Amino acid sequence: MNKTLLGYVPKESPIYLIHPFVKLYFLLVVSLFPMFITQPEANLVIMAVILLLMLWSRVDLRILRIYVPVAIAMGWIILLSYTVLGGTHPEFELLANVLGIKIYWERLRDGIVVYCRILPMIATMVFFLTTSRERDVIVAMRSIRIPFLVTYVFAMALRASGMVLEDFQIVRQAEQARGFDTTGKSLGYKIRKYVMYMIPLFALSLRRTEEFTNALVARGYAFTGEAAKVKRADYILTHYSFRLYDGILVALISILFIVILALRYGYNAFSLESSPLINWLYQILR
Amino acid sequence: MSEMTAEQIWTVQAGEKRSVGVIHIVTLALLIGIGFVVGAFGSISFPLGFGVNFFWTGIAVQQVGSIWFGMWGVLAGIIFPFFSNAVAGTHFDGSAAYIPANFVQAFLPAWAFRYFKADPRLKSGRDYLILFLAMIVSSAFGALWSPLVVLRSFGLLTTESVPLFIWGWFGGNVIAGLVFNFILLKALSAVVIRTTAFVKQWWA
Repeated sequence: MNKTLLGYVPKESPIYLIHPFVKLYFLLVVSLFPMFITQPEANLVIMAVILLLMLWSRVDLRILRIYVPVAIAMGWIILLSYTVLGGTHPEFELLANVLGIKIYWERLRDGIVVYCRILPMIATMVFFLTTSRERDVIVAMRSIRIPFLVTYVFAMALRASGMVLEDFQIVRQAEQARGFDTTGKSLGYKIRKYVMYMIPLFALSLRRTEEFTNALVARGYAFTGEAAKVKRADYILTHYSFRLYDGILVALISILFIVILALRYGYNAFSLESSPLINWLYQILR
Repeated sequence: MSEMTAEQIWTVQAGEKRSVGVIHIVTLALLIGIGFVVGAFGSISFPLGFGVNFFWTGIAVQQVGSIWFGMWGVLAGIIFPFFSNAVAGTHFDGSAAYIPANFVQAFLPAWAFRYFKADPRLKSGRDYLILFLAMIVSSAFGALWSPLVVLRSFGLLTTESVPLFIWGWFGGNVIAGLVFNFILLKALSAVVIRTTAFVKQWWA
């Protein structure tokens, strides 16, 4: 299994046939699609396609469990924000009046539209995080000639986040061993006591800063001055080659984006008026 | 060795040479790393939506990091929300639009401590007051910028739900700041100001 940024993927996964840059391009471009698509069903189709891609990539979909509370919380907040906190609008069609709170069809519809836009964005990000390793991100950045310093800082940051997570576990276990346990305590108590983890985490990070720096200086690394101007060998890039099908995939993603823009602005596609789901909901709720 | 005064902490002494070094680059990377983890905790645990949280622990890295490490902390405070928000499903466009808010939230406490020569070890009531006011003002800017400018212009919020997000952002940052910033500064500043990573001016 390969450890990715958010889980594990089998080494034999077909996703590793694809160049890391294509995955990064997919993330950056496909997650823009919902911004130009109003129809909820079209956005849900995008989400379904991404879930299928995750299955094809042999991602363990149980990782999605951590996103269920996020998705539910966001859904409720958006729903409340658009309905209960939606205000009074005589120009809108009143669906219900619950204890003085007016629920309008237009507000409910807009809440659904926004929520269905967010879901594929989350799915795209999860797809990227579950299929990409740290080195994939670095290769993607080096492939498009992002300066060494930026790539290096980025790589160190990713590495540091992994170490912080490990440190967090160590600190937590050390404090549990000393009898500190927040299990069963109130949320307020947990929040107050979270600082018990933060101080050791910061202290450990500061110590690591010294260790990292000493290691880099000992190896002759320099980010400024003459030493920084030496051309570096991109060893990691030699393990990856950008093949014809990678180019085709990039072209397909680009074309798809252009098609969506053309349909949206040229033919008024993906509008709410032509949405079967919205029309069906309207028939049910009115 | 006599204890440094707040004035001495921020003043480059005669004969003292300060320049950007590898340690500052490493500090930037590690701050991004710790911000990524700590910020993502808040983003996932207490989400209000679109990267806004009821309790954003990342504010501690943003504000304490910038007080200690100057512009390196500010840069980290701008960069790490891209990652911590991404884990919670906020698109890069949204995070990019939050840059001014994150910049002010990180920059203002750092500027206030340097301009007013406040002691990062929080030795007096004045130091506490400067930190508290910097937290309030910077979080207020962030809370107004993000829901009013970003989320409204993206068409993600109705006018009536804007106050919920303003208070969510403001409260989420200030409460987390109250819980973490004071204790972190009090507990660790005495050590940090003696390290070579500590930034007296803005870059070194």
